[in-house]
Formats: sequence, structure tokens, C-alpha cells
Amino acid sequence: MTRLVELSDVRKLYDGGAKYPALNGVSLGVERGEFLAVMGPSGSGKSTLLNLVAGLDRPTSGQVLVDGRDLGRAGEAELARYRRSGVGFVFQFFNLLGSLTVLENVVVAAQLAGSGTAAARQRARELLAQLGIADQAARYPARLSGGQQQRVAIARALVNRPLLLLADEPTGALDSRSGEQVMELLVELNRGGQTVLLVTHDAKLAARHARRVVSLVDGKVADDVVLQASTASAAELVRVRVEEVVG
Amino acid sequence: MSLKFGVLGLLAEEPLHGYDVKNRFESLLGGSWEVNFGQVYMTLQRLERDGLIEADGERGDRRKLAYRLTASGRKTLDDWLSRPESEPQQLREEIYLKLLLSTRLADGRLDDLLMAQRRVYLQRLKDLAEFEQAARREGRDDLVLLFKGAILHTEADLKWTDACADEIRNSNRKGVEET
Repeated sequence: MTRLVELSDVRKLYDGGAKYPALNGVSLGVERGEFLAVMGPSGSGKSTLLNLVAGLDRPTSGQVLVDGRDLGRAGEAELARYRRSGVGFVFQFFNLLGSLTVLENVVVAAQLAGSGTAAARQRARELLAQLGIADQAARYPARLSGGQQQRVAIARALVNRPLLLLADEPTGALDSRSGEQVMELLVELNRGGQTVLLVTHDAKLAARHARRVVSLVDGKVADDVVLQASTASAAELVRVRVEEVVG
Repeated sequence: MSLKFGVLGLLAEEPLHGYDVKNRFESLLGGSWEVNFGQVYMTLQRLERDGLIEADGERGDRRKLAYRLTASGRKTLDDWLSRPESEPQQLREEIYLKLLLSTRLADGRLDDLLMAQRRVYLQRLKDLAEFEQAARREGRDDLVLLFKGAILHTEADLKWTDACADEIRNSNRKGVEET
């Protein structure tokens, strides 16, 4: 089977003739079931990369293939269909509709992708239960904590069984505890086979949860590393320096 | 950390033999430091000489001698505990020296050097996070704090590595534009 995502020599120049391209010859493959973190400072091209993989934008040159679909050449209708059901998004800000209940927020995403109401409601309820917020289904987003709102956003992202879950700084607006729980959730989903592409500037988050970390600098892949399961002992990692003897 | 104050702190809890002091110190630091018995023994001797600890009970076979804190030892410990740390930041990283020397030699190995170092830090962040979680599961809050500290330091090291790479790229770019 081919890779789920395959970027080949992708360049992206924005209009206005920016001096440097946002992406400058990026080649990158993502396997099915991978948990990949893309790191980089602001301006390194990570958002551009995400937008291209999400089908929100097209490359200036090079190829973006997702599940064999050439996003650069796809027609608008095909791209729209891909965005609705091929990818799920989780953002830093949850972007939930305040006038809809938690359940409706999730159901609407399924209906937009063509799902029937009954099936959509059932799938939404299953996801809310899986994410531990079944009891919040009838409430409005504003009544929920940040962590709970992000879970709703994750349920919404997953409702159409996307090939790819894209998470853009998903813990950026959360306190560290809720952030941790959200990340654990993403890890769990990944264990269940969900391909996850996480974009973050937070090295700890990337190293801790993703197996593979790609670093972008100035629109290029500066590093691509697969982290190993730890075999180190505590003493190899931390050494408290103790003064030898009392003077 | 000073072994002197580590020993005083342990003896503040209860009188201990030298061997217990060594074991407790090691377990306190979660195996992150192995204490040499000779060091502990010498520290105990000097603390006794300075009147900060004293023999608890009969002075018999030296090995079996337990020590307890004196009033003066207690005061020294309390003073130390209440004093914030203000030592200068110690940069003892070998990578720093390598970087300085490589910059001088200008042999183009800087990027590779920094990238390799970066990978070490990323892997270390992952490993430390696992240890932090394990310590949390085992209810060792003290070790959670130790690992958290190590994680923050590693994050800083990683940021520093990135900042170095950034500086080098910028100065290269300037060099190219000037020529």
C-alpha cells in the first residue's frame, strides 16, 4: 500500500512576491497509522504545510498526494469533499458553534458530509462517550471547560472517520493538565489506528507523544527523526551533582 | 546540591548510621546519583568535628555509630533551607565548547553538530517524560519534581540549540548577501 500522505518537492510561494518561499522543496511521507509531529518556529512553514495537506491551499509546484489523491490538481468540488470527510481538524481554539449543543456541533459536521440524521446522531453519541463527555451532550459549549470543548472539537473532527487527523497546537489554549489529557486522547486514537499529524512549537509535546518528529526551518525539512523507546536508566538522564566533601 | 546539607537533612528526620545515610540519600535522589560510602563517612566526620552532628548513644565500633543533629546543626540546616539559591548559572555543556571551537575553525560542521545535539535533546525529553510519568504513578512527588526540572532544562537546551542554529543561518545569509 502506498503512503497515506506523500509530499514531493513541494514549494509554496504566496502572492506579493515574498522574498523567501513559505515552503521550499519539501518532500515528506506519512505512513498510515503514524503519529507525526511537525515542529518549527513561527514562519518556518508548518501552517502552510498543514494547509496544503488539509486541501485548504494548493502548492505552487510539486505534488501533494493524500491517499493517492493529487490535491494540487483536484477540482474544487473534489477538494471540498476531501475537506469535509477526508481530514479532521483540531485547532488551538475550538471553533465550536455557540448556538448549538455539544451533540449538535458534532452531528452537523456529519450531516454536512452527507450522513443521515439518525446515523450521524448515533456516531456522535458514540464518539462523545469514547471521549468521556457523553454527559455533556445536551449542554452548550460555553458551559464547558476548555478541555471539554477541545474533546468536542475532537469528536467533531472524527465524526466522518477521516483518513487523517490534523491537530494544530491543540493544547495551546489549555492548562497543562487538560492539555495532557487531550494529548493522551490523541495517542489513544492513534493506537486505534488513526493517523495523526500534530503541528506544534512545543518540543516537549512533540517528543513525548509523537513517534516521529519532523522539524521545519525556513520552509525546508531540517530534521526528521524517529524517537526510540527509552532504555535509559534514571541515572543516565539526571544526575544531581553533589559536592564531594565538606570543606 | 551539597552532601553536607543532604546529610544534615536526613539526620534531621532521625538518627542514622553512615550506611543508612548513604542508602537514604540514594533513594531520595531516585538512583540519579550513586553516593560513595567514603564520601558519606568523611562528611559525617567533618560534620561531627564542626559540632553540627554528634554520636547518638555509645561510641563503640565506628561502623555502627549512629549520628544525630545538634542544635547548631539544626540551625545551619534551617538557615540553608530558607536561603534562596543565587549561585551563578553554570554552563558546563561540552556542546558549548565544541560549538565555539567549530565556529572558530569554520569548517562547516556546525549544522550537523547542532542537529545531532538536537536529536539527543528530543530523545531525552521523551525519556524524561516517561520517567516523570512513572514517578507520578508510583506517587513519588519528589522525583516528579526532579524530572520536571530536568525536562525544563532540556527544553531550554533545545531552544538554545535552535537559537544557535538560527544565529548561524542568519550570519551565513548576511555573509552571502554581502559578497
